[in-house]
Amino acid sequence: MTAMKPQAPSAPIADWVALDALHADPFPIYTRLRAEAPVAWVPAANRYLVTRYADVHTVDADQDTFSADESHSLMKRAMGHSMLRKDGPAHQRERKAAGVPLRPNQVKQRWTPIFRRNAEELINRLRPGGGAELVDEFAAPFAARNLAEIVGLPNASARDMRTWSQTMIDGTGNYANDPDVWARAERSYYEVDEALDEMIPHLRANPDGSMVSAMLHADDPLDIEEIRANVKMTIGGGLNEPRDVLGVAVHALLAEQRRRDRVMADQSLFASVFDESVRYVAPIGMYPRQTTREVELGGTLLPAGARLGVVVGSANRDERQFSDPDIFDINREKKPHVAFGGGAHYCLGAWAAKASVATVALPMLFDRLPHLRLDPDHPAQAAGWVFRGMTELPVVWDL
Amino acid sequence: MPKITYHHADGNQDVLDVPGGSTVMRSAVSNGVRGIVGECGGQAMCATCHVYVHTPYLDRLPEISEDEEEMLECAAAERDESRSRLGCRLTVGDELPEIEIDVPKAQV
Repeated sequence: MTAMKPQAPSAPIADWVALDALHADPFPIYTRLRAEAPVAWVPAANRYLVTRYADVHTVDADQDTFSADESHSLMKRAMGHSMLRKDGPAHQRERKAAGVPLRPNQVKQRWTPIFRRNAEELINRLRPGGGAELVDEFAAPFAARNLAEIVGLPNASARDMRTWSQTMIDGTGNYANDPDVWARAERSYYEVDEALDEMIPHLRANPDGSMVSAMLHADDPLDIEEIRANVKMTIGGGLNEPRDVLGVAVHALLAEQRRRDRVMADQSLFASVFDESVRYVAPIGMYPRQTTREVELGGTLLPAGARLGVVVGSANRDERQFSDPDIFDINREKKPHVAFGGGAHYCLGAWAAKASVATVALPMLFDRLPHLRLDPDHPAQAAGWVFRGMTELPVVWDL
Repeated sequence: MPKITYHHADGNQDVLDVPGGSTVMRSAVSNGVRGIVGECGGQAMCATCHVYVHTPYLDRLPEISEDEEEMLECAAAERDESRSRLGCRLTVGDELPEIEIDVPKAQV
């Protein structure tokens, strides 16, 4: 007689999780999920949510079992089929071509001076005002201008980039199938194509350091549809992240005077502020995967074709990985987090984000805006779970 | 089976027998060796699998590529001009049946 291998139970159902509660403050929900149901079917999200660090790590390391190429992907509809929703050699080929401008030396030599110029211009414009809503008036336009240049769309304004990014992201999250959301996403889809059509002949003839140029002139060049999809994905995924980590970092420094004093006394600590900010509030809090076979994960059995939500926003607060995870602590023991994902899809923009936020924007803001502080009359606010960041960051400074 | 020895700063060591074709990074990550992170999964993008190779093995290693060179300059622990390598670029097998490395104090 052959012994049957004992099977793990199927995932518990967490029907107590509501989307509006996740949007307002997901962290208490994540704490409960990690304790009670680390791999859970969450009806509100129509996915299994994976919330512990170790299980997120397992998923990231095994793209054969946990595919990025999700079926019925809203992202593919909103942005086209980019490398972010591909696996294996197909993904690797596009990543290799597009990634050249985002390597550390390029970031340092080519982009950091541009980040500096963009930050200067925006701060000079703000300075006489004595107060601002920092996300809308600094973090977002700063991220948008930087991104337009890295991508290779200098013909796009910061406002265009912000509109495109937001409307295509909204399409990616349009689970309610709202026709107005689709209409706005579609308009952006074609506007990005038009902007690219305008730039591509020029970049084909005059290669530069941008992503579009790199994709056109790679040893194994990408075709126009691949370029279009990857540019849209980059606009969708490259604007919120530096914007949101900047907002979280500034808020953390303004909220706690002793922390701020320490960083002002030793500016190399801006790098720790950046790293702790992305751990504390991962700007991309959740991304999808789909199982290609029946598999055991976190003590539960997932069927083939299961749609997962990989909750890095929770993994980064896992008490099994970090001590006092809900405390913002720039002195914490350095341990790996998964804010940039891991494995084959590790964030291509990680070095650019670090340079633009930790090397340029944070030091310059605190240097140029005397006695920068939170606006006592208008409280700061954060929101979101799939994407999370400060939505309101009113600040004032002395003139 | 090829053998990889990881020496830690506290004097402890991990010795692994691994299939030919395995890398120093992947073997460490899949066997829970402390101090090697491998955040980017082996694309020479994150510099979190930095190791110091013991001198006797150095002349059997592949050349340092441009990508690896760039990442070694970004590693958290100080680079050693001759011994620093990325674990994801070191593959054991027929050419390199065994290797010993020191695990740096920091990767992130």
